[in-house]
Amino acid sequence: MVDFLNLVRNENMKMFRAPRLFVMLGIVIGLIFVVSIIWFSYDYGSLTSDMWEVTLVETSVLFWVVTIFAVIAASGTVAEEFSSGTIKLLLIRPWSRSKILMSKYIASLLFALFMTLVFLLAALLINWILFDLIGNAQSSAGSGFGSALVGGGEESDAALITRYYLLTFLNTVMTVTISFMLSTIFRSNVLAIAMALFIEIVLNNLLQLLQLFDKKWIDYLIFVHLNLTKYAGGNVSATDGMTLGFSLSVLAVYYVVFIALTWYIFNKRDVAS
Amino acid sequence: MQQSIVRMLDVTKRIGGRTLIDRLSLDVPNGEVFGFLGPNGAGKTTTIRMMVGLMSITSGDILIDGHSIAKDFEKAIRHVGAIVENPEMYKYLTGYENLIHFARMIPGITAHRVKEVVALVGLEARIHDKVKTYSLGMRQRLGVAQAILHKPKLLILDEPTNGLDPAGIRELRDYLRRLAKNEGVAVFVSSHLLSEMELMCDRVAIIQNGRLIDVRTVHQSKAAAEANAKILVEVDNRQGAAEVLAAMGQQTAEDADGYIVIHGDKERAAEINAALVNAGIKVYGIRAEVKSLEDQFLEMTGGERIG
Repeated sequence: MVDFLNLVRNENMKMFRAPRLFVMLGIVIGLIFVVSIIWFSYDYGSLTSDMWEVTLVETSVLFWVVTIFAVIAASGTVAEEFSSGTIKLLLIRPWSRSKILMSKYIASLLFALFMTLVFLLAALLINWILFDLIGNAQSSAGSGFGSALVGGGEESDAALITRYYLLTFLNTVMTVTISFMLSTIFRSNVLAIAMALFIEIVLNNLLQLLQLFDKKWIDYLIFVHLNLTKYAGGNVSATDGMTLGFSLSVLAVYYVVFIALTWYIFNKRDVAS
Repeated sequence: MQQSIVRMLDVTKRIGGRTLIDRLSLDVPNGEVFGFLGPNGAGKTTTIRMMVGLMSITSGDILIDGHSIAKDFEKAIRHVGAIVENPEMYKYLTGYENLIHFARMIPGITAHRVKEVVALVGLEARIHDKVKTYSLGMRQRLGVAQAILHKPKLLILDEPTNGLDPAGIRELRDYLRRLAKNEGVAVFVSSHLLSEMELMCDRVAIIQNGRLIDVRTVHQSKAAAEANAKILVEVDNRQGAAEVLAAMGQQTAEDADGYIVIHGDKERAAEINAALVNAGIKVYGIRAEVKSLEDQFLEMTGGERIG
């Protein structure tokens, strides 16, 4: 077990490397900062927003950046080994291919988790300083804007944010898994990243239009379920009436298929480059 | 007979309809430097990739230290260190980080061992620099370092001298010989440079078009080559010389440059010289042409045909 953790450490060492990491951190924190400042300057006279509300809105608008960075890291972890040829040195160690791939997958998820926490903490900190310290907003559940946004009930702000982040993170996990699979199959991180961008930006938003068609099979498409934040307000979606349980079940089936395919292909592949 | 570290049993690799490796059987003895020769495209790299489990084996099996690489990969690969093709390392990490990376993958490699290996390949001065700043020779050294970190019983090197300068080649050669002699490591080296193999290896296997053509010890083949040397004689009167030689019962031939070609050893050369001079033919020069392994190899494989 300790030995396996060493593999994960190796992958972390390669993934969390400067300067790429600093660029990513800079973009994430910078974006949050800019949006908060703009919001704050508009809001300064009336001061109706509080830190929870701003954080929640920023998360719903900006979080795709975190997903994209997680995808870049995840698809690079396999594809870059192939493109640089280092995969040969990696696979001739006394470890099965499955375990090596597992270490890469775990490192990818850890990276996604790390970026998510950076986003959340940066947003909370920046908005706390701007809106609560400087702006002196009443930090209470009173404004109700955040709750209105996601259709929440009587939950506290912190509970709402937590629930929102869990659902968002599940979306990120699925997207990372898809790009991990694509980069393993095609050994190209460009394709994997492009596909993930497409899912994040285009499908996540547009494909919900598909639900306007009254066809049963549409309910089983993965894209309809990727955006889980519609359940932030409760277990039944206000927009389409589906339940969280149903969405999670559909995603779970896709997840198992993706993982199985990824592992099968990685184990079978002849490494010749 | 010594025990074999590698046993290839009827190894065949087919991709699509093409047979890349055709029923290759080979034993690599412990503690020898074993050369694997063949023209480009003969299947050297494919064979090596199968030996280290990067490619699947269509039929047959490869046993390393008694373990099947296909069925018992983790045990078989444990005592193998390898560089497959170029020594590609993580360029954005330092040399030391690269070694730590690979050291972590095998239990029991201490920081002390890493240090020792760095000293062994002579990289102390630059080990904490990023690999992207390394010259090819330094990368090659780092490649050797990662391959011997865990004190393997078998070291597999694919075209290790590619891109090295003469001093680097010589150093690598001496180092491999030392490794085999002092530490009992079997070294399996592929190359298409035969002159080099001659200097480096105890035994050489020659393959072409995925088939094993011959296995011979280098020493033996040198002796055989000397016995079968060609003597080239340059004379003023070829016609007359041919008659004299025919009278001695010597088979002759003429090569493209107008030399008379005779097969025989040094003694024979002296006799022929005396006979020709006695017959009043001017002898401008006599020289022996010892066939190198290279010539023998080209003869055997019919030149560098890729196919």
